[in-house]
Amino acid sequence: MKTTNPPSPESGHLPRHDEGQGQSRRTFLDRLGLAALLAAIGGQATMMLRALVPNVLYEPPRRFKIGAPDQFPEGVTFLEGERLFIFREQQVFHAISAVCTHLGCTVKMIQLNPPQHVEIRGETREEKQEFHCPCHGSKYRGEGTPYAGPAPVPLAWYLLELAADDGQIVVNLTEPVNQDFRLTV
Amino acid sequence: MPAAAKAIWKKLVWTWKPESEFEAGDSIVKNLLLHWFPSKVTLESVSFRYSLWLGTASAVLFAILTLTGIVLMFLYVPSIERAYASVKDIEYAVAFGWFLRGLHRIGAHLMVFVVFVHMIRVFLTGGYKNGVAAGQNRPLNWIIGVVLLLCTLLLSFTGYLLPWDQLAFWAITVGTNIALAAPLVGEQTRFLLLGGNEIAQGALIRFYVLHCFVLPTAVLMLFAWHMWRIRKDGGLACVDKVALQQKKEKTQPVKSKTYSLLGIAGTRTVHVETALVDEDRYATNSSPFLTQRLLVAILATTVLAALFAIGIEAPLEEAANPAVTSNPAKAPWYFLWLQELVADTTLRFGDFTLNGALVGGIILPGILAGLLLMWPYLDGSPVTATGVWFGPGRLRQNLVFLFVILLIVILTIVGTFMRGPYWVLYWPWEAWELLPRHF
Repeated sequence: MKTTNPPSPESGHLPRHDEGQGQSRRTFLDRLGLAALLAAIGGQATMMLRALVPNVLYEPPRRFKIGAPDQFPEGVTFLEGERLFIFREQQVFHAISAVCTHLGCTVKMIQLNPPQHVEIRGETREEKQEFHCPCHGSKYRGEGTPYAGPAPVPLAWYLLELAADDGQIVVNLTEPVNQDFRLTV
Repeated sequence: MPAAAKAIWKKLVWTWKPESEFEAGDSIVKNLLLHWFPSKVTLESVSFRYSLWLGTASAVLFAILTLTGIVLMFLYVPSIERAYASVKDIEYAVAFGWFLRGLHRIGAHLMVFVVFVHMIRVFLTGGYKNGVAAGQNRPLNWIIGVVLLLCTLLLSFTGYLLPWDQLAFWAITVGTNIALAAPLVGEQTRFLLLGGNEIAQGALIRFYVLHCFVLPTAVLMLFAWHMWRIRKDGGLACVDKVALQQKKEKTQPVKSKTYSLLGIAGTRTVHVETALVDEDRYATNSSPFLTQRLLVAILATTVLAALFAIGIEAPLEEAANPAVTSNPAKAPWYFLWLQELVADTTLRFGDFTLNGALVGGIILPGILAGLLLMWPYLDGSPVTATGVWFGPGRLRQNLVFLFVILLIVILTIVGTFMRGPYWVLYWPWEAWELLPRHF
C-alpha cells in the first residue's frame, strides 16, 4: 500500500485527495462522514417538521346531535356554533351549511317578503329566503345554488339522521348529500 | 475614564467633526456600528432625490417594530381564551400601552407602504441593473428585496391575527381558505398552517411563533444580505451612473483591462474595471455626511411614526365570533386589492367553474410575484439606464409597471372606500344600508 504524500512546502500545493490508493480510502471515509452528517441533519429536520403535524385533534365532533325534531320551529333555524341552517316543513327536515363555498365566511340569511318565484335548474320554485355572504358578496338561492358573486359551487347539504337512542336529529358533516335529500320524521 | 473603557467607548461613538481625511475614514472603519458602511460615499447616493431614503426608513421602521414588539410580547398572551383580553389590557390598563400598540400597528402599516414604494423607486431608477464595475449582481439583490417585501406582508398578516378579534378571525378564515384553493397541496398546507382543521389554539400559536420569531429572523438575515450585496455591487446603482458620466468626460482611452494571473493553473482571469469615481468632485466622506443623513432619516421616521400613533387610534373589533361574520368583513387596506381580486375573478366556462380564490388568490398574485423576481433578467435596456430615474430605453416597461401599480392602487381604493355590506359597491359619500346585526 502506498503511503500518503505529506504536504511539501516546496511544491507549494496541497496534496490532492485522489492521489494514490490510500487516498481512495480517505475519499470514501470523507464521503461517509459527510453522508452521516447530512443524514443526521435531514433526520432531525424531518422529526421537527413531523412534530408540527398533530396526531390527535381536540376538535368538535363532525357527527353530533342537535335536539329533538319538535324543538325546531317551522321554517329555518340557524345553529350559530355549528354554522348550519336547519329547515323544517312540518315533518320534513333538511340541513344546509352556512359556510360560503368561496372562502369560508358565514353567510347571512335574507328573508324574502313576499316569497319570490325563481327558476333553478329549469324548475320554478317559490323561495322564502336566500343567503348572502358578507365577505365577497356571493349570493345563494334558498336551496344553496349560487346566482351572483364569486362562489363557485352550491352551499353544502348534510345528511340528517334520527338517533336510535333518544330520537334526536343527528347531523353528519362528513356526509354531504344532494339537494333532494329530506329527512321525514 | 480608564484607558480600556475609553477604547470601548470609541468603538461605539464617532467624531462629528473629523479634522482630517484620516480621522474621517477612521471613524467609519474602526467603529463597531459603522464599519459596514464605505468610508467614502457619492453625493448622489446620500441625496434624497435619488433614493427618497426609503430603504433607510424601512430599516428604521423594522427597528421600531422590533423594540415595541418585544415590549408587547411581555404583555400579550397567545391563547384564544386570553389573547383578546390581554390586548384590551394593553390598550386600556397598561401604562402607555395604547401608545406602544399604536406605534407597533402604525409602524407595520408604514413599513408595508415604505417597502412597497421602495420597490417602485428601485424599479423606476433601474436600480436592479448591473453597471460598469466587476463582480456586480444587482438582480440578486432585487430578488432578495422582493422576498423582503413578501416577508413584510406575511409579518403584517400574521400580526393582525394576534388580537383574536373579529378582523383577526375572518382574516385567518379567508387567508387559509385561499391556501386551501391551491391545487394538490392546498389541503395539507391549510392543515399545517392551522395545526388542525379548525381555526383554534393551534392556529393562534403557530401564527404567533411565525410573527415573533421566524419571520423577523428571516427579515433580519435577508436585510444583512441586502446590505452586504449593496457593498459588493459597489454601492447604489447611481454610483455606476456617476462613473459612466465621468468616463465620458475624460478623454483617456478605455480603463478596462484584463489581467491573466500567471502562476495559477487553468484559465482564470481577473477582469478589472474601476468604478471608482473622482472623489473630490462626486464623493464625500461618509463621516459625517452619511452618518448625519442616517440620523436625520431615523429622526424623521421615528417622529412621523410616533405622531401617527398618537393621532390614529388603533382599532380593536369585537372578540372573535366564529358564528357571525362582520359585514362587511374587510382585510387591512394593503390586502384589499387582493380581496377585490378574489371577489371578482371566479371564472365560469359552461358548467366548469374556477374559484376566484384560486384565480385571484393564487394564480394572479403568483404571476405578479414571478414577474417581479424575473424582471431584471427580462429587462434589456442599455447600461446607461442604470441608476437613473426614468432612464433611456425603459419607457415602455416603466409605463407597464406603473400601470400595474395603478391597477393595484385603484383596486385598493375601491376595496377601502367603495365596498359596503355584502361587498356591494357604494360611492364613498353614500350612506351604507343599515342592517340588523343578527338576521
